Amino acid sequence: MKRWLTPLLLLPLLLAIVPAGDAQPKDTLTVALVSHAPTLDPHMHFERVGILVNINMFDSLLHRNTKLQYEPSLATSWKALNDTTWEFKLRKGVKFHNGDPLTAEDVKFSFERVTEPGKEKKKSPQYGNIRAIKDVRIVDPETIHVVTDKPFPLLLERLVFFPIVPKKHIEKVGDEAFGTTAAVGTGPWKLVEWKRDQYIRLESFDGHWRGKPAFKHLVIRAVPEVATQIAEMKTGGVDLIRNVSADLIPELKSHPQTYVSSTPILRVHYVELDMRQPPFDKKLARQAANLAIDKQAIIQKLMGGLGQQTATVVQPLAFGHDSEVTPFAYDPKKAKELLAQAGFPNGVDITAHSAFVEFRPVFEAVAQMLTDVGLRTNARMWDPGPAWNKFFQTEGKATNAAYGSWGNYSVFDADAVLHPLFHTEPGGWIGKHYTRVEGLDKLIDEARSTVDQPRRKRTYSQIQKLIREEAPAIFLFTQYDTLAISKKVEYAARGDEWLWLFDAKPKK
Amino acid sequence: MTAFVVRRLVRLVVVVIGVSLVTFAILHASGDPVALIMPEAPEADRVVLRATLGLHDPLPIQFARFVRNAATGNFGNSFFHRTPAFALVIERMPTTLLLTALSMALAMAIALPVGIYGAIRRGGAVDQVATGTVFLGQSMPVFWTGIMLILLFSVQWRMLPVSGWDSWASIVLPTLTLSTFTAPLLLRIVRSSMLDVVKLDYVRTARAKGVSEWLVILRHALKNAALPLVTVTGLQFGLLLGGAVITETVFAVPGVGRLIVGAIRQLDFPVVQAGVFMLAMIVVTVNFVVDLLYVYLNPQIRVR
Repeated sequence: MKRWLTPLLLLPLLLAIVPAGDAQPKDTLTVALVSHAPTLDPHMHFERVGILVNINMFDSLLHRNTKLQYEPSLATSWKALNDTTWEFKLRKGVKFHNGDPLTAEDVKFSFERVTEPGKEKKKSPQYGNIRAIKDVRIVDPETIHVVTDKPFPLLLERLVFFPIVPKKHIEKVGDEAFGTTAAVGTGPWKLVEWKRDQYIRLESFDGHWRGKPAFKHLVIRAVPEVATQIAEMKTGGVDLIRNVSADLIPELKSHPQTYVSSTPILRVHYVELDMRQPPFDKKLARQAANLAIDKQAIIQKLMGGLGQQTATVVQPLAFGHDSEVTPFAYDPKKAKELLAQAGFPNGVDITAHSAFVEFRPVFEAVAQMLTDVGLRTNARMWDPGPAWNKFFQTEGKATNAAYGSWGNYSVFDADAVLHPLFHTEPGGWIGKHYTRVEGLDKLIDEARSTVDQPRRKRTYSQIQKLIREEAPAIFLFTQYDTLAISKKVEYAARGDEWLWLFDAKPKK
Repeated sequence: MTAFVVRRLVRLVVVVIGVSLVTFAILHASGDPVALIMPEAPEADRVVLRATLGLHDPLPIQFARFVRNAATGNFGNSFFHRTPAFALVIERMPTTLLLTALSMALAMAIALPVGIYGAIRRGGAVDQVATGTVFLGQSMPVFWTGIMLILLFSVQWRMLPVSGWDSWASIVLPTLTLSTFTAPLLLRIVRSSMLDVVKLDYVRTARAKGVSEWLVILRHALKNAALPLVTVTGLQFGLLLGGAVITETVFAVPGVGRLIVGAIRQLDFPVVQAGVFMLAMIVVTVNFVVDLLYVYLNPQIRVR
């Protein structure tokens, strides 16, 4: 009896003795992202996880270096000929992964692939980024002119991620294949294989104009669960992960095989206030809300010290930031006084909403601090889906305040945060629901309507002083992003959250 | 017999339609996918997209369209992937089925011998350890078990890869995780129904006839003890598929479960509907097979 049972009992154990997979070869760099974008076609999605992959396979006209300054990429030089025309000189001798040379035709094709002149419906979700572009003209084989319908100061920002794709190749293989099996660019790595939701395997491209990257193989895995990503880091299955939250940093810092790299990023946190109705129709009440928040305590206790309080929503890294505008101090006493002056000596009940699940503790801390000065806050957490519904579809249902964080879609310009948050034009984002600051729309438009940067900077200073005074939101802080990196790899986090892995080197 | 099969088949269809209706209702109550697809877009662009996706029609019309298309295997295009949702689900089905089947097999391989042995040597060492483990196994959530197994086998002992689905080694941990979720229940069922059966007269008679002990257990006792086991196995299969949803996310397994989790996050209605529909189909089919097995195992049932 026992004799036949024993082997059966051992079966599960036997299963477990299969040898584990090989450790990472030295010339391979493995990155884990939470997911893959729906396509490898760099123009047909607008997903951070896709952009991070695309930039290592495709070049744009401009590049941004680690100091976040523009650098030549496929364009060697550029200048504004007038308010609406930009000239770009193209790099010579650049080759696509399939061997075809880069031509001005490819550049024009890439733009028109997204703008689709003459078409009613645009298929690229990036159309909105460059909708100002009216025409792309080939002047000679190395020169193109980009013409916008009105002054478009964000053009260069948008062109830092605007991959140039091969016209002939796409016309041959079609959009579908290009986005899955036949993606071809001019970047440091070329596609080997994509297994959806598993891995994207890339191999270095010998003909890349910058030279060869340090790692021959680049593997981008999709690992949705953070705890699993961390375990992969500790066992060397993965060399790099991003968005490491504050509570996990000590563990990865002290592990013998990993280190962390943190850097301030564009993402700013704020609580948008509903200025259409009491109590936040009163300036003093909005200022009181700002004075009620101990931002330093939130940064230290809840963000692991990785944050910087901001005077407004304009991030220090963004063009137009004015460091002379100072943040609201933490002054609960004065907050109570202002609230009384605003007509609420006994405080007032308000509701605040948030759909930012990962920042729930911050939201709750803010709600408590508001309650402490008499803005008794009913804090409501939402799943992102229903929240969008609530905030934006049924106009004006969500009052009196909405917690938010905004990353500018990596555009290092004040416009990219001021317009969506505070401009009230009908096509706008949340500003149209909440914000009612006299003269603000006009100033935002003004800064948008010229490419004269010093003039824009002056206008943004004016705007920041205005919103610091009018306080259409509770201004909180900008956050950091943290990467965990294998000690075998040398790399540093970038302010634009890009994983530009050409800069990654093996550590000796 | 034919009437029986037909009746069960009708029930099968009703259940699948019911599941689809509930999924449909919950999904549409949960928000506007267009807002998630294009958060920064002006309202005008959204109206266009909503029309393209067929989201502007009244809900009953949307549901009718959904049922009509679903009947032909057409669940529409995924909002996110922009390819047919059904194909996405089918592409991932083998992975999930393999994981579920392996876990069920492993759970059985543990539950049967240990359960039988525990019932025969009631109160013995094996029985006591097994009963204790049952409580432990059942009280651990799959999510937690998975991470603990990763910590032990991958981080601590370096025996197995942490995640992925590209070698047999990477299949071990997800399978183990899922079977620790199912094995305890099966084990308990095997043990208790064996305990009920071994006391019965016909078993004693078989022994008295001089039939060898293991033949008594396997042929006489087990076949009768198997009825509740078969029922529970059928039900467990559904639970396993549910557990696979979490397990696949923890171990980065490219299965249907993970596809659905991602789709729910993105409010990708077609994919959620296609995925839930397929999983419901499988559960219902398994239960149908269980019903048939019943008839084989216990001819008395057929009469009703």
